[in-house]
Amino acid sequence: MHPLDLKLVRDIGRMKGQMISTAVVMACGLAMMIMARSLILSLETTRDAYYTQYRFGDVFCSLKRAPNALRPRLAEIAGVAAVETRVRGKLTLDLPGLREPADGMIHSIPDDRPAQLNRLFIRRGRLPEVGSHGEVVIGEAFADAHGFEPGDEIDATLYGARERLKIVGTALSPEYVFEARPGETLPDNRRFGVFWMNERELAGAFKLDGAFNDVIVDVAPGAETSSVMAEVDRVLAPYGGLVAYGRRDHASAIRLDDELRVLRGLSVAFPAVFLSIAAFMSSAVLTRLVRLQREQIAQLKALGYSSRQVGWHYMKFALVIVAAATLVGGFAGMWLGTNVVSVYHRFFRFPSLTFHPDWGMFAVAFATSAGAAFLGVIGAVRQAVKLPPAEAMRPEPPAEFKPSLLERIGLAQLASPAFRMALRNLERRPWQAAFTSLGLALATGIPIVPGAMRDGIDYLLSYEWDLARRQTVTLSLIEPGSASALSDMRNLPGVISAEPFRAVPARLRFGHRSRRLGVTGLPRDAMLVRLLDANAHAIELPPDGLLMSAKLAEILGAKPGDTIRLEVQEGRRPVREAILAGTITDYSGVSAYMEIDALRRLMREGGTVSGAQLTVDTNRWAEFLAKVKEAPRIANVGIKEAVRASFRKSTGDMIGMITTIYFTFAIIVSFGVVYNSARIALSERSRDLATLRVIGFTHREVAAVLIGELALLTLAALPLGLLIGSGLAKMIIATASSESVRLPLVLTAKSYAWAVIVVLLSSSLSFALVSRRIHHLDLLGVLKAKE
Amino acid sequence: METATPALSAPPLAEGSDRDPLFRVRDVTKIYTTGEVEVRALDGIDLDLFGSELIVLLGASGSGKSTLLNVLGGLDQPTSGTISYRGADLTTANEDELTQYRRDSVGFIFQFYNLIPSLTGRENVALITDISRDPMTPEEALSLVDLSGRMDHFPSQMSGGEQQRVAIARAIAKRPEVLLCDEPTGALDVKTGITVLEAIEKVNLELGTLTVVITHNAIIADMADRVIHLSDGQIIDIKRNRTRRPVRTLAW
Repeated sequence: MHPLDLKLVRDIGRMKGQMISTAVVMACGLAMMIMARSLILSLETTRDAYYTQYRFGDVFCSLKRAPNALRPRLAEIAGVAAVETRVRGKLTLDLPGLREPADGMIHSIPDDRPAQLNRLFIRRGRLPEVGSHGEVVIGEAFADAHGFEPGDEIDATLYGARERLKIVGTALSPEYVFEARPGETLPDNRRFGVFWMNERELAGAFKLDGAFNDVIVDVAPGAETSSVMAEVDRVLAPYGGLVAYGRRDHASAIRLDDELRVLRGLSVAFPAVFLSIAAFMSSAVLTRLVRLQREQIAQLKALGYSSRQVGWHYMKFALVIVAAATLVGGFAGMWLGTNVVSVYHRFFRFPSLTFHPDWGMFAVAFATSAGAAFLGVIGAVRQAVKLPPAEAMRPEPPAEFKPSLLERIGLAQLASPAFRMALRNLERRPWQAAFTSLGLALATGIPIVPGAMRDGIDYLLSYEWDLARRQTVTLSLIEPGSASALSDMRNLPGVISAEPFRAVPARLRFGHRSRRLGVTGLPRDAMLVRLLDANAHAIELPPDGLLMSAKLAEILGAKPGDTIRLEVQEGRRPVREAILAGTITDYSGVSAYMEIDALRRLMREGGTVSGAQLTVDTNRWAEFLAKVKEAPRIANVGIKEAVRASFRKSTGDMIGMITTIYFTFAIIVSFGVVYNSARIALSERSRDLATLRVIGFTHREVAAVLIGELALLTLAALPLGLLIGSGLAKMIIATASSESVRLPLVLTAKSYAWAVIVVLLSSSLSFALVSRRIHHLDLLGVLKAKE
Repeated sequence: METATPALSAPPLAEGSDRDPLFRVRDVTKIYTTGEVEVRALDGIDLDLFGSELIVLLGASGSGKSTLLNVLGGLDQPTSGTISYRGADLTTANEDELTQYRRDSVGFIFQFYNLIPSLTGRENVALITDISRDPMTPEEALSLVDLSGRMDHFPSQMSGGEQQRVAIARAIAKRPEVLLCDEPTGALDVKTGITVLEAIEKVNLELGTLTVVITHNAIIADMADRVIHLSDGQIIDIKRNRTRRPVRTLAW
């Protein structure tokens, strides 16, 4: 081994505490980066392969009824590679062990040929046999939620007729990667399931013999999806076709893309913070090293080593840190990723979701952190190699000091010499002090982020389900009904109050942007579903015009006063216009609302209702559910508490897990930064401290001198850290905001307190560790050595 | 300083006199083991040191003089043998006891001054006066070394001699019974060295502090009551000066 490399190895051995703490902080950043990037890669790779292999369609359209003979015409459309037509409809379920009714979507599969598009992956069992009766395949998430297995039977109501369905298999479909009611942002796998049945039998059940009501189109490579959609619309229009939509409007695909977008944001924002802290730290450690080795550098140069060789030698220290960090961070990231990927399985159903480590990211991670470390070190190295050897070999002139500002303004007369030492040391190297303080401030700020995320979830839950929604249950009708339907619901046992709603499926279009969703009509004085502004104050529905989620307005690029086109996807599919009257603040999914009569006027209809929000007497809850289960017109029952629980279990758990990872990393980083600062201070002060020990200061008194300075820096860093943490939380929560879930920024005293506690505990631990090293100060050596 | 005080010619104390020695060093050995090499830094030292003596330790580098100074000052423990200070055994003292011993009884002066650069002369002295039982004021200590005029300067604003005199003031401000000086003039030119030695001499005479000075410089030995010569960790000679030469008459 080259002597310089031996020196490298031994120097590293001597300063391993600082090297390790720096590498660990860097590793945290890299672990998070590699975890997130690998998850993205895993999800994308798996998704793409799944979509391709199981032929997920590009264009989708529902219609009232068209004869199977229309199919060749669809296939002839220019740019269409394949067409699948099928029967698709809702069913309601009477599930054992579930007091309330559940519902589902049932789809046909061709009897006599393999499906062309949206093919099924059979996890267990088999497809229904040709000519069989009542055989179905069910979605895996639904099966898992109930423990259904092939051979089990379920009672269901299809198109008003009760049938006993026999489960013959469980399956996955690319159109239900996110297995939830279309348009709902949260999965509720106990109360919603997807089903597949042989086409002939299903068409019979839905009175669609020889006909279809749903189309899936595969667009040929290179063809324009939009022109295919327009043509599909044109062909299907006479058959009650709703507007065709692409993957960008497909509920399951949106949800998956949404998740990927969040991951992409997180894979940059958080690691960037960690890596910049690590860059600070490695710069501080190595600058200090170079300064201490000033004479050695001079000797090396005197021996004939070039500045380049010497510079490269010191760069290797940075490389070692970075290499260790990449290795540790990489494996930690992969380990975390492997674990997180299994949690994704709860949300997203793939035939297999395997973890793909993003190896390319290792190289990027290595390069990024090496670049950052190099930038940090290069200044110190350049300064060191620039000195002529003779000059560098002379000891550095004694450090210059002056009375500190506090003393000059006459405030520190009472201060002890130790305190003055601390103050003057800080003032002498203000930049170094500022950098250390900044590092400590970042260490304070980081733990605020997971705290804010946790509080955001809590706020979201109580905002959405206590403040905004006050109903016990939401009943939706299979078909829009009249005023009598409302009074039927109102007369269910135990109902205390009932408010109707009218939900109209529509495409909202503003300019070239559009979104498919339901416009909900509510009574003007609605008390059970309240629309809130940013301050959680109720907004009254305007007599005319539209209110929508601020996020939806952002997606559409619309602002209050703009005219929104409503392309209704129900009945005769009228196209209407409505003024955007204002926006509301909500945090989960996006919605649009109108005053119920205004919506009915728009639809040119009377007292139509789509369902009702109810509050129900809990004492009569069982009775209520039993009645609801018998009511044939009710499509589904949304129980508020069940939805809240489902959110807690799914999204809440997910964010909770991420929060835990972040918080763990935050503690590690916080400790690393504080410990590193303490070690650097110790190495800079060791001579002074040893002198104090020699002249009779006790160990405790010497430790107080060292810790006094660090404590000052830490105290200065705390307020700044809280500020930085708030900014970080804002940035990262904004990054993690998606159409499905937007966490509100909630900064509580609790988060701040936690951050302060984390930093103070890290400080105490670091101080304890460093003050133990004061025992090992070289009292004899330090007296012999020159300054 | 200019006038020789009567004490200068006072009869030196004889060994074995009825006064108890301040230090009683018996068969002290110090072995440093570095890897496989064993270095006997001290090899069976027997020595008594008395109050208000001025001792000069002479010897080549590696002869053991710094090691002797360190074990006397409680900075290091001998491998074997005993050192008692006023009857108390330093070799069995724990770290806290040694710290207390240094704090109360010992003043150190080093070749490279070892001042705290961030504190002024006065404050460097105050470091000690703050923690001592019966200190003089920093001003008194500094005037004793003729540095009253520059006590609010920082080390970086002082010459080497001035810095060393601050170090002396810092060492003596607690009125120690022992002053241990390791090459106090090693980093100074002759003229500055003389002023520093004069300060040490003055402290020894006025405060009656047992003073041990390490030096390579044989001429300095003339200022001592006794000159102890070390070689290879052993005392090879103890010479008693008939009279102490005032420092201001020394030249080298």
